[in-house]
Amino acid sequence: MSCAIVLGLSVFAAAPAADSDDLDPEIRQEHGRQIYRAQCQRCHGAAGEGTEDFYPDPLVGDATIGELTDIISETMPEEDPEECVAEDAEAVAHFIHEAFYSEAAQLRNQPPEVQFSRLTSSQLRQSLADLYQHFYREPHRDSEQGLSGAYFDSNRWKKEKLKLERVDSVVDFDFGHQSPGEGIAKEEFYIHWTGSLQPAHTGRYELVVESTCSMKMRFGHDDRILIDNHVQSEGKTEFRRTLQLIGGRQYPIFVDFTQRKRKTEQPPAKFSLRWVPPGGIEQVIPPEYLRPSTGPNTFALQSKLPPDDRTYGYDRGTRVDRQWDEAVTSAALEFGEVAARELWPQYRRTHRKDSDENRGRLRGFLTELARVAFRTEPSQQVIQLYVNDQLDAADDDQLAIARACLMMIKSPRFLYPAAAIDSTPDDRISSSLALTLYDSLPSDQWLLSYSAKSWYRIGEKGLENRIRQAATRMSDDPRLEAKAMEMFFEWLHVDPTAEIAKNPETFEGFDVQLTLDLRRSLERSLQEVFWSDESDYRQLFRQTWNWTNPNLAHFYGDMFALKDSKSDDASSIVSLVPGQPAPEKVFGVLAHPLVMSHLSYYDTTSPIHRGVFLIRRVLGRTLRPPNVAFSPLNPELHPDLTTRERVELQTNEAMCQVCHQKINGLGFSLENFDSVGRYRDVEQGKPIDASGGYVTRAGDEVEFTSPAELAAFLAENEDAQRAFVERVFEHFAKQPPAAYGPDTADKLLESFRENQFHMRRLIAEVAVIVALDAIEGESENAAT
Amino acid sequence: MQRREFLRELGVSSAAASFLLGLPSLLQAGTGSAMRRKRLVFVFSPNGVIPKHFWPDQTGADYDVKRILEPLAPFQSQMLTAKGICNKIKGDGDGHMRGIGCLLTGIELFPGDIQGGSDTPAGWSMGISVDQHIKNRLQADAATQTRFGSLEFGVMVPDRADTWTRMSYGGPNQPMAPISDPYQMFDKLYGQVKNRQMLASVLDDLAGEFKSVSRSLSSEDRKLLNLHLELVRDVEKDLQTEFAAATKNDTPSHAVPKLAPNIEEQNDNMPEITKMQTELLVNSFLADFARVATFQITNSVGQPRMRWLDINEGHHGLSHEPDSNEDAYEKLIRINTWYAEQVAHMAQRMRDTPDPSGHGSLLDNTTIVWTNELGKGNSHTRNDIPFVMIGGGLDFEMGRALDFGSVTHNRLLLSFLEGFGMPEETFGNPDFCKGGALSELMA
Repeated sequence: MSCAIVLGLSVFAAAPAADSDDLDPEIRQEHGRQIYRAQCQRCHGAAGEGTEDFYPDPLVGDATIGELTDIISETMPEEDPEECVAEDAEAVAHFIHEAFYSEAAQLRNQPPEVQFSRLTSSQLRQSLADLYQHFYREPHRDSEQGLSGAYFDSNRWKKEKLKLERVDSVVDFDFGHQSPGEGIAKEEFYIHWTGSLQPAHTGRYELVVESTCSMKMRFGHDDRILIDNHVQSEGKTEFRRTLQLIGGRQYPIFVDFTQRKRKTEQPPAKFSLRWVPPGGIEQVIPPEYLRPSTGPNTFALQSKLPPDDRTYGYDRGTRVDRQWDEAVTSAALEFGEVAARELWPQYRRTHRKDSDENRGRLRGFLTELARVAFRTEPSQQVIQLYVNDQLDAADDDQLAIARACLMMIKSPRFLYPAAAIDSTPDDRISSSLALTLYDSLPSDQWLLSYSAKSWYRIGEKGLENRIRQAATRMSDDPRLEAKAMEMFFEWLHVDPTAEIAKNPETFEGFDVQLTLDLRRSLERSLQEVFWSDESDYRQLFRQTWNWTNPNLAHFYGDMFALKDSKSDDASSIVSLVPGQPAPEKVFGVLAHPLVMSHLSYYDTTSPIHRGVFLIRRVLGRTLRPPNVAFSPLNPELHPDLTTRERVELQTNEAMCQVCHQKINGLGFSLENFDSVGRYRDVEQGKPIDASGGYVTRAGDEVEFTSPAELAAFLAENEDAQRAFVERVFEHFAKQPPAAYGPDTADKLLESFRENQFHMRRLIAEVAVIVALDAIEGESENAAT
Repeated sequence: MQRREFLRELGVSSAAASFLLGLPSLLQAGTGSAMRRKRLVFVFSPNGVIPKHFWPDQTGADYDVKRILEPLAPFQSQMLTAKGICNKIKGDGDGHMRGIGCLLTGIELFPGDIQGGSDTPAGWSMGISVDQHIKNRLQADAATQTRFGSLEFGVMVPDRADTWTRMSYGGPNQPMAPISDPYQMFDKLYGQVKNRQMLASVLDDLAGEFKSVSRSLSSEDRKLLNLHLELVRDVEKDLQTEFAAATKNDTPSHAVPKLAPNIEEQNDNMPEITKMQTELLVNSFLADFARVATFQITNSVGQPRMRWLDINEGHHGLSHEPDSNEDAYEKLIRINTWYAEQVAHMAQRMRDTPDPSGHGSLLDNTTIVWTNELGKGNSHTRNDIPFVMIGGGLDFEMGRALDFGSVTHNRLLLSFLEGFGMPEETFGNPDFCKGGALSELMA
């Protein structure tokens, strides 16, 4: 039973007592310490850590000294609240705030440090993908959509028979018995589609091809056949392959589709490129995941990796166990196989002129692999162990490669980038940048060359700017996009693969297809804002229109209205287009239906979930969990009440109000959005009351009367900006900002503001901070 | 490229292999009372034969062995030749396509777009093949279940999925791709052991790396690395225990075959690849990985150039020559004799290998069925399809030459089922099953 003061909770308009300023802080501090020892310590522990018998929770939070004073004065000590009031209460508030309660005190008492980590699962996947891609070209960002189609009046590639070249935004055709284009015979033709598939999220995708004619699809590599249906055979028209893909990676795709002339009856020519994305249902692959240009060959690890520790809200590689070790072994074996099958022939092709005496070419290949895997030029000793010894142990080339890869990928040199063994400061900068920005290792030729020529010029003036320059160049890359998208979805508390169940009677039409479209719409908004020149964080709250398609427009009406009703061909049904502005109903991604429906129940909204979401995630404030778990009041038992009234009814007790005043005040302001995020003016025949409020960290009281005011407030509010900066830092660095100095977050916030809230620059700044830390010692004599 | 020993460095103890794979045979080895393991292998060679030098003139137990079958003479008493078996399946597809696609399925091909040199175009077979049917039956019963059930070997089958390159079908429109690369087959059979052995052999060096890397770290950071090092040591210890336990149970039936290294899939390596695949087949029977196999040498219309016999022309090209072309005629006899030698070698390896179940040799419990998609190359006839059987896997009365005159080959497929102890009324297209299994075959 715990009835001690519930800190971290506040009453509105708690102004700090003015007269306290006159007191000598040291005397007051001492006075507070003494009272605390005498009256509080018994329950709260010597340093506010709590005691098992009386009040087990530590006294930590973000209430101001004024708020603390009020609470102490009114409620403490529990047995006799009159014993500690006024100046005494204030002295105690000052003391505990300074000694252990406030966030600043916590940082002082426990300065976080950069924690030594192994690669996380995501980092392992990305690093292997780049280790592979190193032997090809580097990817580049391509905003064009669709696949390139080349249509031939022939049953194969014949240059002079090429009749039509175009970009098909989706590949979903039913030519029937007709010609696919002008000048092409309907009895016999060949279509070659090329480009790349770029999924937004990492996960297992089922690729589905429906083809009534002869068809071959290569995927991921120009020589890797995923589906071979060279033979058209009646009844065999559907092909499914499940693959683990990495978000943001471009997988080259090549389709050969042939209608062959024959003596017998021809089937109608039909071809459809579809997929089942993680958590989704089968659909034609939408244009935004297709690129008409063919990316470099790409490797996606198929081995399953165990999830990482997320207790701090982001993945951390701070634990090793048998399961993880075994997963790394299978990853290493898988990579070894693909290295032997694809990378080694590629290396041989590009090094035809090198001497092959004493297996020189294979030695060169494995040495290069070690250079990239270990993020530095390998020493003679490393080459001996990882290359020469492995060659000596296996006369068979494939086996030697398998052994070397097994050694390299299981090596601490690869798995622990922070160990940075044998690496030069230049290596460490590039390695740190790649890890922060891509969860990966440096593999692009230009970045590797920076190490070779000591490009950063450690010790010379302008080092920080040079690092920034490299980070900025690296920021324009699809690999950053995936990591950023992951961050946004975490920030918005949306699990991209989760199913959202709503009452089908009340919300007819809210199905998996619609939620998949919503996910795409949200992704698109985030992407467009993120990659715009301004990359302005405030736009995330300010954009007045949604990306939409006919399905979304039909269900959501005004919020997703199409600008013009287009034809209903396959592409315009699937494609997302900018919708009509609806400034009273659309507030960037804040009130996006995908976010709102996640923060709702089966039938009704949940102002509490929405409030908690806003306080914790968007505003970055702390909240204690409730003392007891409550189930929401059943709406059917209160048929006349609106959701707001029901929540107020349930949380109106004083004990609840300390927290719920904060929570409800924010959550209610989104009441215009129902359980599926559809805009509404009335509920239960009563007009929606979206008024609410918030007390900032600085103690300012703010009131809103509508979601529009809330959105406008969030865009400009410092609490929210700080929360975003911290989230970005933790997501990209996988470490808390304070580990890089107590004022890291403050400095970043300041530069974020100076840069007009430019998100990509913010990320680059995070990368710069982490990179500078990686060469600490070397850089100290560099600044001047 | 030099030839090097592929597996020497693996040093996989044969015992380790079996132990790690958890082979059921381990439990049965040496008991002698174990159930007899019936096995069946279909060996395919393409483009028909020269009947005059293939079929015995004399039927019955006292049959004569012609030139092409000469390499099989040592097996005469365990051999059975079945003439008069005709593939009468009609429908889409040219003779070669229906020859191979209907050979083990006994049913038509689907309409499709693969056009041969004549007739109509076609797709894949409309039904399951007899080897896969038997496999399914065996796998459905715990007593006869094996790790793979069936294995599909290829020798120089082109890397191309079409009707001419597929003999085995898992069901309608489900061609089974044979594995032509012995190293790939080896990985399928023993890859797990190979990988674990490889892992065991690098762990000590890795542990050294962990130590040397951790020396450069702060004591705080070193903690995680030391934990990791302990894991490495644990895995090493466990693998040693596994291998040691396996050695105790070592028996000859768990040998891992040794393959020559770096043999590319090239025409001139065909004899070598055939031998390698044969070794893998024999060993997988020994280890009881499977009880049914197909062994497809090239493909229908296959064009190997048997330069090792001083024949530079492709086989299919030669097979179209008229009988009056004496040179071609002679070469075709020699080509088919070479195939017979491969079958004889396989049979000999099985005869030399004691069956781990304790019932005689592998050959005593395995029937090798050597067949072809055509009766004769230049006529494309699918009458008198070559069917030569060696060994005792099926309950057939061996040591005979039979001539059935002209019966549908579906009836022979039914006989295979009957001989395996799983008789059926029909298999493939029922229209061709009238009369049922060929009763003369049974012992």
